[in-house]
Amino acid sequence: MIPGDYVALAVILFVIGAVGVLIRRNAMVIFMCIELMLNAVNLAFVAFARLHGTIDGQVIAFFVMVVAAAEVVVGLAILMAIFRSRRSASVDDANLLKY
Amino acid sequence: MTSLSGALAAATITPPHIEYGQLSPLLVVFGAAVAGVLVEAFVPRERRRAFHLVIALGGLVAAFALIISVAATPSLFAHGSPGHVVAMGAVGVDGPTLFIQGTIVVLAFVSVLLIAESSHGVSPFAAQAAAVPGSAEEREGLLRGISHTEVYPLTLFAVGGMMLFPAANDLLTMFVALEVLSLPLYLLCGLARRRRLISQEAAMKYFLLGAFSSAFFLFGVAMLYGYSGSVSLSAIAAAAATNVSSATLLYAGIALVGIGLLFKIGAVPFQSWKPDVYQGAPTAVTALMASCTVVSAFGGLLRVFYVAFGQLTWDWRPAMWGVAILTMLAGAIIAITQTDVKRMLAYSSIAHGGFVLTAVVAATAAGLSASLFYLAVYGLTTIGAFAVVTLVRDPAGEANHLSKWAGLGKRSPWLAGVFAFFLLAFAGIPLTSGFAGKFAVFQAAAAGGALPLVIIGVLASAVAAFFYVRVIVLMFFSDPAPDGPTVVTPGLFTGAAVAVGAAATLVFGIAPEPLLALASHAAAHLFVR
Amino acid sequence: MLTLYVPILMLAALAALFAGFSLVMGALAGPKRWNRAKLQAYESGIEPTPQPSGGGRFPVKYYLTAMLFILFDIEIIFLYPWAVTFRSLGVFGLVEMVLFIVTVLVAYAYVWRRGGLEWD
Repeated sequence: MIPGDYVALAVILFVIGAVGVLIRRNAMVIFMCIELMLNAVNLAFVAFARLHGTIDGQVIAFFVMVVAAAEVVVGLAILMAIFRSRRSASVDDANLLKY
Repeated sequence: MTSLSGALAAATITPPHIEYGQLSPLLVVFGAAVAGVLVEAFVPRERRRAFHLVIALGGLVAAFALIISVAATPSLFAHGSPGHVVAMGAVGVDGPTLFIQGTIVVLAFVSVLLIAESSHGVSPFAAQAAAVPGSAEEREGLLRGISHTEVYPLTLFAVGGMMLFPAANDLLTMFVALEVLSLPLYLLCGLARRRRLISQEAAMKYFLLGAFSSAFFLFGVAMLYGYSGSVSLSAIAAAAATNVSSATLLYAGIALVGIGLLFKIGAVPFQSWKPDVYQGAPTAVTALMASCTVVSAFGGLLRVFYVAFGQLTWDWRPAMWGVAILTMLAGAIIAITQTDVKRMLAYSSIAHGGFVLTAVVAATAAGLSASLFYLAVYGLTTIGAFAVVTLVRDPAGEANHLSKWAGLGKRSPWLAGVFAFFLLAFAGIPLTSGFAGKFAVFQAAAAGGALPLVIIGVLASAVAAFFYVRVIVLMFFSDPAPDGPTVVTPGLFTGAAVAVGAAATLVFGIAPEPLLALASHAAAHLFVR
Repeated sequence: MLTLYVPILMLAALAALFAGFSLVMGALAGPKRWNRAKLQAYESGIEPTPQPSGGGRFPVKYYLTAMLFILFDIEIIFLYPWAVTFRSLGVFGLVEMVLFIVTVLVAYAYVWRRGGLEWD
C-alpha cells in the first residue's frame, strides 16, 4: 500500500511498453504496447494522487482514458485500411517511403 | 483512505467561471467544426463542398476578428499585465498566445484554400478512404468524381487544437489539445487521391510515432504532477523554485515533456517521421502541417519552457543547445541528398525548426518575439512553396521527383520564378522575409549568450543555401526532360495561396518592421503565469 | 493491513458458493429436454454468428461496430463525476452537460446518416 511502489510499477510497465514499440514488428502489437504505456501513465497519476492527497490525478486519468479511446479508434481505422490494401500489418513491409 | 475521503469532503464544488468572451476565437473554430460534421450528416453530397467552404472560411475569418478584438481589449493588458488566465486556470490569454493564434488562423485560411482546390476536375482527396487501392470500388468512386468532404471539419478540428495547444496553461489541457490537433492530421495524411499506398503508409507512420511521442509527453506530465502535486504550469514553476527534495521526478518530467514537444516540431533526434509524412500526405495537408502545426508546436514549447521551467533555464539549456545544433546541421545536410521535392522541403523544415530553437534557447523576451516573427513569415512562405508543388503534374499525379523539375524555368518561367523566390527566402537571402526572420532569431540568440549556436546556424544556412540554389540552377539552367511534367494553370484558390505566400515573403522582406514591432509588443511581457 | 481484504474475500466466497449451488441444483433438480437451440453458443439471445471456417478472419464490419461502441461508451465517464456533483454545479453544470451530450449527438447523427449503424 505504499504509493511509491505503484509509481515504480508504472515506470516498469511504461518501459515494457516503450521497448515493445521499438522491437516488435506488427503494427497492431506496437499499438497495444502504446496502450500499455498510456495505462502505465494512468497508474502513475492515480498513485501520485494518493501520494499528494488530491483528486486531480484521478480526474486526469479519466481524460487519458477518453483520449486513448479516441486514439484507438483513429489508429484502428488507419491500420485496418493499410491491412486491407497490403494484406500485412508488419511495419517492415511498409517501406515505400524512404530516402 | 482517510486523506482521500477527507479531500473529497473538504472540496466544496462551486460552478467554474468561464470567460466565454476571451475564449471566443477557440469556441468559434470548434463550433464551425461541429457544424461541418452536421453538414456531412444532413446535406446532400453535391452541395456539401459549398456549405463547407462557407463554414470553414467564415469560421476562420470570424475567429481572426475575435482574436483582434480580444487583443484590443484594454482591460486585458491593463497596468502592464501580460494577460489573463481564464477558464479556471486552464487557458492563458496573453500577447504571445494571441499572436500565435492569429498566425495559425491566417495560415489555416490559406491552407484551406489549397485543400479546397478542385478546379482541375477533382480535389486532391480520396473518393473513399475505406476502399482498397486498385479495387473496383475505388475506381467507381473516382469515376463519379466524388471525394471526401470530411477533410473540412477534420481540418477545423485540427486548427482548433492548434489554437488551444499554445494557449493551454496546464499540462492536461495541453495534452488534450495535442491529441485534438494530432488525431485529425493522422487521418488527413491518409486521404490522398493519388498514390494511396504511400499516403496510407504515411498515415500509419505518423500515427504510430505520434502516439508513441504523446505517451512520452503524458508520462512526463505524470512525473511533474508527482513532483509538484499539480499540472498547472505556474504551480510547477513555483514548486521548482522551492522544492528541492525529489529532483529526479522534476528532471524526468522535463525530459519526457520535452521529448513530446520536440517530436511535434520535428527536432533531431525526433525528426524521423517528418520526411515520410510530408512526402506521403496530400500536398495541401502537408502545407497545413508544415505551417500551422509547426507554429502551434513551437507556441506550446515556448510556453512550457518559459513558464513552467523558466527558473530552470540552466538545467535545460545545454540539452536544448545540443538539439538545436543537431537539428540545424542534420536538416541542412540530409536535405542535400534528397531527390523528392516534398522530402527536400521536409528536411528544410527540420533545419528551420533548428533556427527557431536558437531563439528559444535565449529564454528572453527578444528570443520570444524573434521566434514569433520567424514562425509567421516562414509559415506563409512554406504554404506558397507547397502550393507551387501542387501545380507541377504528370499523368500519375504530382511530379515530385526533382529530376522532372529540370528545365521548368524554360517552360513556365513564372511558376519557376515564384518557386525560386520561395527557395531564396528559405535560404535567407536579403530582401526576402527569410532574411529578416533569420536575422531576428540569430540576433536574439547572440544577445542571449548563444554565440556558438549563431555561428553554427550561419554555417547550416550556408549549407542549406547550397541545395536551394541547386534546385534553382536545375530549374533554369538544365534542359527540360522530354517526358517532363505539365504545369497546370492555377485555379482561383491555389493561385490565391501562391499569391499570398509570395506577397508576404516580399513585403515582410522589404518592410519587416511593422510585423517585428507587433511581435515584440506581443512578447514584451512574456507569457501570463 | 490484510484485514482490509476480509470483506472482499467473504464476498468472493459467497459468490462462488452461490454459483456452485445454482449449477449443482440446476443439474440435479431441473428437467432435461435436449434440443438444437439449447446446444448452440449463447450470444445474448440473437442468432449465433456463423464462425469463419478454419479460424479465419472476422468481417471488417465487426471492427466498425466495435470502434463505434468504444467511442460512444467512453463518453459516459464524464457523466459519473457530474452525476455526483450536479446539485452543487446547478444550472451551469446542466447547461454544460447538455452541450457535451449535444456534441456527442452530432457525432451520432453523422454515423447514423452515413450508414455506420447499418449491418448489411
